[in-house]
Amino acid sequence: MNLKQSLILAVAITLIATASWELYWRSKGFHPTVNDEKALWALARKKVETGSKSDVVILGASRAYFDIQVDKWREDTGQEPIQLASTGSSPLPTFHDIVNNTNFSGTVVIGVTPGLFFSTTFPGASPWKRAQSKVEYYEDETYAQKLNFQLSIPLQENLVFMSADEEEWSDDIDLKSLLRNVSIGHRTSDPKMPPFYNFGDVSIPRNISMMPKTVKDTAFANSIIKVWHFFGKGAPPPDKASTMAFFLEDLKKFKARKGTVILVRCPSSGGVRMGEKMGLPREEFWDELVKKAQVKSYHFEDYDQLKNLSCPEESHLSLEDANYFTSEIIKIMKADNALTNL
Amino acid sequence: MLFNSLSFVLFLIIVLALYYTKLFNWTGKKRMLLLSSYIFYGMWNPPLVILLWISTIVDWTAGKKLAVEENQKKRKMWLLLSMIVNLGFLAFFKYGDFFLENFVILMNAFGIDFQAQPMDIILPMGISFYTFQTMSYTIDMYKRKIEPARTFLDFALYVTFFPQLVAGPIVRAKELISQFYEEKRATTNQFIWGLFLLTIGLFQKIVLADTLLADTSDTVFGSDKLLHGVDAWIGTIAFSGQIFFDFAGYSTCAIGIALMLGIILPDNFKYPYASLGFSDLWKRWHISLSSWLKDYLYIPLGGNRHGITRMYVALMLTMLLGGLWHGAEWTFIVWGGLHGTYLILERLQRRYLPFEITKWNGMFLAFTTFSCVNITWVFFRARSFETAWNMIKSMFYMQTGGEKILDTFTILKVSVIIAIMFLCHWFMRNTSMKEVSLKTSPYVLGIIWAIMTFLIIIAQGSGEQFIYFQF
Repeated sequence: MNLKQSLILAVAITLIATASWELYWRSKGFHPTVNDEKALWALARKKVETGSKSDVVILGASRAYFDIQVDKWREDTGQEPIQLASTGSSPLPTFHDIVNNTNFSGTVVIGVTPGLFFSTTFPGASPWKRAQSKVEYYEDETYAQKLNFQLSIPLQENLVFMSADEEEWSDDIDLKSLLRNVSIGHRTSDPKMPPFYNFGDVSIPRNISMMPKTVKDTAFANSIIKVWHFFGKGAPPPDKASTMAFFLEDLKKFKARKGTVILVRCPSSGGVRMGEKMGLPREEFWDELVKKAQVKSYHFEDYDQLKNLSCPEESHLSLEDANYFTSEIIKIMKADNALTNL
Repeated sequence: MLFNSLSFVLFLIIVLALYYTKLFNWTGKKRMLLLSSYIFYGMWNPPLVILLWISTIVDWTAGKKLAVEENQKKRKMWLLLSMIVNLGFLAFFKYGDFFLENFVILMNAFGIDFQAQPMDIILPMGISFYTFQTMSYTIDMYKRKIEPARTFLDFALYVTFFPQLVAGPIVRAKELISQFYEEKRATTNQFIWGLFLLTIGLFQKIVLADTLLADTSDTVFGSDKLLHGVDAWIGTIAFSGQIFFDFAGYSTCAIGIALMLGIILPDNFKYPYASLGFSDLWKRWHISLSSWLKDYLYIPLGGNRHGITRMYVALMLTMLLGGLWHGAEWTFIVWGGLHGTYLILERLQRRYLPFEITKWNGMFLAFTTFSCVNITWVFFRARSFETAWNMIKSMFYMQTGGEKILDTFTILKVSVIIAIMFLCHWFMRNTSMKEVSLKTSPYVLGIIWAIMTFLIIIAQGSGEQFIYFQF
C-alpha cells in the first residue's frame, strides 16, 4: 500500500473537483453571498449589550430587513443601526429579549408585518420559534461557534458553494439541498409547497438587499409570489389579543426605562396587500395597535412619497426602492422628532 | 469544539505544527497537548474545565495512595473517594433532574403533595466518558492490576487527551498512559493513515449521518401523528444508520487524530450491524463501553460464577445501568432492558435450542439481529413512551390508517443507504479497513478518498453536534 500516492491523488482530484464545482455554479449565475444564519444574528445582537441611548435597533420580519437598508441609514443619520429583523418571524420574542435581558434604552424600530406580528405567542409556532431560536442561540453560543463563524466569513464571501442557508432555499447548492429537490411522485397528503428561491443578498454588517434578478425577471418574481400565496392560504387565524397583550406588557417596561419604540408598516403590494386587507384589516390591527401602544408610528399608506411604492414580489422592496424608503422614512421621522438620538 | 468544524481544522493544524516542530522536548509536547486539550474542551464552556481538573486531581491522588497503601480499609476509602467524586458529578449533573422528577412522582403516588422546580443543570459535555475513564484507573489501581502513572502530567493527559475526551473510546490506563512515557512520533504512513481515518470519520458524520439520514429520523420521531408502517420503519432504520455513522464516525476521527500524533487508540466499532446475535453485537458496538461494563459491573456483580439465575440478574442489571448511562430517561432504561432480555434469550437458546451457524444461515441471523436492534432504537430515540409505543404499533401494523409523512425519494434513499451499510458490515465482519486497504490499489484508494473529501466539502454541514456528546 503506497499511502503517499493515494494522498497525492486524493488531494489533486479533490482540488480539481471542488474548483470545477465552484466554476459550474458560477457559470449558472450564482454569486457568493453571506448566509443569513443565527451566528450572524448573534453578532448583531451582541451590539445591543453595549448599545447607548443614541443607538437604533431594527426589529421585525423580512420587510423591515429588506426595506430598511443599514448602509443608507448610516449614510443619512451618521449612525449604523443594529439590524435584528428576521425573515418569517414575529418581532415579539426579540423585543421581549431586549427588554428583559438587556439594559438597552435607545430606540427600537419595529417593522409591523401584520401576518407575523399578530400571528401567535405559541412557542411551537413557526413565526415565534424562528425568532426565539435566534435568541436562544445567542444565549448559548459557545466560543467555538463564534470562532467557526469568523473563520467561515471569508469563505462565504468568496465561494459560491458555501451556500447552506438556514432558510433552506430551493436553490441552495449544498448536498442536502440538492437531494431535497429530488422528487418522485407525491406520497404524502400534505400540500406541496412551490419552490422557494433565495431572492436576497446578505452582507456584513447584517443587511439584506433584494437580488437584481427579482426585479428584472418577472417569472422569478412570480415564483416568490406563489410562495406568499401558499403561506397566506395555509396561515392560521391571527391571535390579536395575546400578541397585543404580550407586546404591550414589554412596551410598558421598555418605556419605563425611557426607551423609545417606533412602529413602521413597510410596503406590500398586489395580491399580498389585498390578502392583508381582507385578513388583517388596518383598522382592526394596525390602528388598534398604534392606539394602544401610544408610540410614534408610520404606515406607508399615509405618505404620498411612500404609498405608491411597488414590491417586485408583492412583499419587499427592490434595493433601489429600499434605499429610497429608508431615506424617506428617516426624513419623516426626523421631521416628527421621532429619532431623538439625532 | 467539534471535529466537524472550521475551528477544529485550525486547532488541529496548530497542534500538529507545534507537535512536530523542534521547539519542545517530549515533556514540553505533552504540556502543549494537555493545554490544547483544555482549550478544546473550554471552547465549549470554560468553567466546566474545573470538573475535569477535580476529577484529575482526585483520581491522581487516590491512585498515588492506592499504589503505596497496604491497609485494606484505607485502600477502600481511597477507592470510595474516587467513586463518590466521579459518580457524584454524574449523579448531580446528569441525573439530578431525573432523580428529582421521579422523587416527586413517588411522593405524589403516596399521596404526599410535593412539588419541586427542575434544577435545569447544564450537562457537561462528555462527562460520562471521562468519569468512566478516570474511574477505571482508580479501580485498576485498587485491584493492583496496573502501575501508577509516572507523572501527574501523564495522568492529566490520560484524562484529558482531546481526541477521545468527549465521546471516547473510553481508554484504559494501561492502553494509553504508558504511551505517554516515551516520545511518540507518527511515521509518514501512520500520519497519512490517520488523515485517511479522519476523512472517513468526517464522511460518516457529515455526509452519511447528518446529510443523508438525520432529517428522516428527526421527521419521523418528531411527528405527533400516528404513522404508516413504512414511515415508522424507515424513520427507525434511518436512526439506526444515523447513530452508527455519527458515533463510529467520531471514534474513527478520534483514532485517526491520535494516530497522526503517533498515539494508538483501540477500535470502538467492528461492523456491529452484521453481528450474529447479541453477545456478538456487544463485542462490536461501542466496544470500550461494553468491555468497561463487563469488567467493572458485570463481573463484580458475580458474572457467570454463581449459577445461571445470578448470571441473568447480573446481565440484566448491567444492561439496565448501561441504558441509564446513555441518558437520564426511562426510555434509555427500557432500551437497556430490551438488550438485557435479548442477551438472556440468546443464552437460553444456546442452552436449549443450539444450532450451528453456517454461511447459509449466518446472513439471516445477522439480519434478524439487526432487525431486533432496530426495535430497541425506537426507545433510544423516542423522547417519550407514547411516541415509542406509537412507533412500535405502526411498525408491526397494529394500527391502520397511519399517516404517510415521508416522500418516495426519501424512502428509497434511506433504504438504499441502510442496505449498503448492512452489506458492508456483513462483508467486512471478519476483516478490517486496514486489511482491505492493503489489498486495494493506491489509485483506487486515492479516488475513494477524493470522493469522500469532495462530498464532505459540498455537504458543508452545519456543525451538527455528535449525538453521543450528550451522554
